[in-house]
Amino acid sequence: MNARRLLAGPLGAILLALVLMAAAMLVAGVSPVDGFAALFAGALGGPNQIAETLVQTTALLFPALGICLAFRAGLFNIGAEGQLLIGGLFAGAVGSHYAMPAIVAFFVLLLCGFVGGGLWGGIAGVMRAKFGANEIISTLMLNFVAVFFASYLVVGPLRSPLATGAETAPLPPSEWLPILIPNSRLSIALLVAIALAILLRFVFSKTVFGYDLRAAGEAPEAARRNGVNMARMNVLAMTLSGAIAGIGGATIVTGVLHRFNTQLSPGYGYTAIAVALVGDLDPLWICVAAFGFGILEAGGLAMQASAQVPKDAIRVIEGLVIVVLAARRFVATQTEKTTA
Amino acid sequence: MNDAASVVMLIVSLTLIKATPLIYAALAGVISERSGVINIGLEGMMVAGAFTAVAVSGPTGSVVLGIIAGIIAGALFGLFLGILATKFRVDQIVAGTGINLIAIGGAAFALVLVFGQPGASKEVPSLEGASWILIALAFASAAGLHGLLYYTPWGLRVRACGENPHAVAAAGLNPLRTRIIAVTIGGALAGLGGAYLSVGELNLYSDGMVAGRGFIALAAVIFGRWTPFGATGAAIFFGLFEALQFALQRSGIPNEAMQALPYIAALVALAGLTGRVRAPAADGVPY
Repeated sequence: MNARRLLAGPLGAILLALVLMAAAMLVAGVSPVDGFAALFAGALGGPNQIAETLVQTTALLFPALGICLAFRAGLFNIGAEGQLLIGGLFAGAVGSHYAMPAIVAFFVLLLCGFVGGGLWGGIAGVMRAKFGANEIISTLMLNFVAVFFASYLVVGPLRSPLATGAETAPLPPSEWLPILIPNSRLSIALLVAIALAILLRFVFSKTVFGYDLRAAGEAPEAARRNGVNMARMNVLAMTLSGAIAGIGGATIVTGVLHRFNTQLSPGYGYTAIAVALVGDLDPLWICVAAFGFGILEAGGLAMQASAQVPKDAIRVIEGLVIVVLAARRFVATQTEKTTA
Repeated sequence: MNDAASVVMLIVSLTLIKATPLIYAALAGVISERSGVINIGLEGMMVAGAFTAVAVSGPTGSVVLGIIAGIIAGALFGLFLGILATKFRVDQIVAGTGINLIAIGGAAFALVLVFGQPGASKEVPSLEGASWILIALAFASAAGLHGLLYYTPWGLRVRACGENPHAVAAAGLNPLRTRIIAVTIGGALAGLGGAYLSVGELNLYSDGMVAGRGFIALAAVIFGRWTPFGATGAAIFFGLFEALQFALQRSGIPNEAMQALPYIAALVALAGLTGRVRAPAADGVPY
């Protein structure tokens, strides 16, 4: 990667985000020095702050990896938000209903998230394979159905006398994920996410399935002629993509909230689209991007509280970064053409 | 008998009120998708319209100026999407997602700066009793868009851009420009829909007030098979269910099922279970 490409890519996006952030602070009448000081102190100022940043990183990493897998297969999954929610719902419903020893709970509840998210993603995959339904629209619509489905279940049939509001009963402590940094909310979910990123990188580059998946995304006609069953690949990729986001939902339930709540995600599934793009659809770079967005998410609140810059500025910057990164692909291909 | 009649009147007027913002946004979706640009950013454009209308109506004291400003704000976001999707060949879904984040975050950010408080604006001059004008205008817009798309040369060009932009270019016309104009008009309509919410139905802006209507409108476009009258019908249908929500809640139908209805209806239509549904051939395909 030469300097120009690096600047046009992730590095440029980070620089742009910082400049825009400074502009937003000036608009809000705050000196960027104070604003950034508050942001970084809030995100990285001590063990507790770093732990909270990593909690946000983890929450973004799972859906971003799921989106990455679908993207690589040529499918646009904007339903990570719903898949995450249903994954969390499955884990919360099973976890709060059955008491399990720690080691069993770890696998069973993550599997619940995998199955829940996988089912939700799989619906869109089947709709595309069987009826040719555009997966972008179907995953988007399924996000809303997921919210109403989950809130119906937790206030209705799954209602627990122990619950207050739209949530399940708490999980027994034996089912909670072990904590990495004492007195924080950071659980071993972070390690699971990083392991998953490494696994995905391996699958993409070293396995036949990964090769077929990328072929289906990059050259569908060639893949089909080489014997890749495209309908099957669509269903499989959407299911796995949803399943990965679903595991993320399960870890929020077992690691952070210790119950399922319909408010469990403040839009992780949407921000994760930006994370996947900034990470250039490479699982390891996505880990780095997720940490960057984790800093913004965790530091944003601190910035609002101590420097009076509304935290919503972060959303605007995320949106601009998405747009600019998507536009630079065009600029990059134009440059390649002219220099070739 | 009088009672029954007044109940029907109430349901009809409530349906019209709930359907109006959906109609504007659904028409916005129709014109932009018929030109070949999928508009995921409808939600953000409605937010921009709703917020700007209040931000202008408050300080100037003129609700008319507020509504015009809301239309312009929506149109600017439409122009932004149009240029990104054509000149820069940005993936339309990515661009729309970005626009939603920018508009929703931007409105919340600007709300604090303009009104000095988070969450909701102060009360501003609104249409009050005159809001029926925007309701009537929604139906007029549907008829107008139908006429524009099917009975004018420019409408033919828009539809051709959505089916086969290369043919449009071969005829010596510029499909990129047509798409940009179509998406900008769409943005203006979505902005008007947002303005109706904030200064027509209510008299303030609050975070989250658009509440996914931009996405329901997308569902209405699909359920209405990409035609102005179809989309309007779907918007009225979804508006009726929103109006009946409180009444039907007592009948034992879960509220959530009613709220999920537009999205499920769109999924069913997408799967082709309600007959042949076909999007414009070049919908979402950059030229």
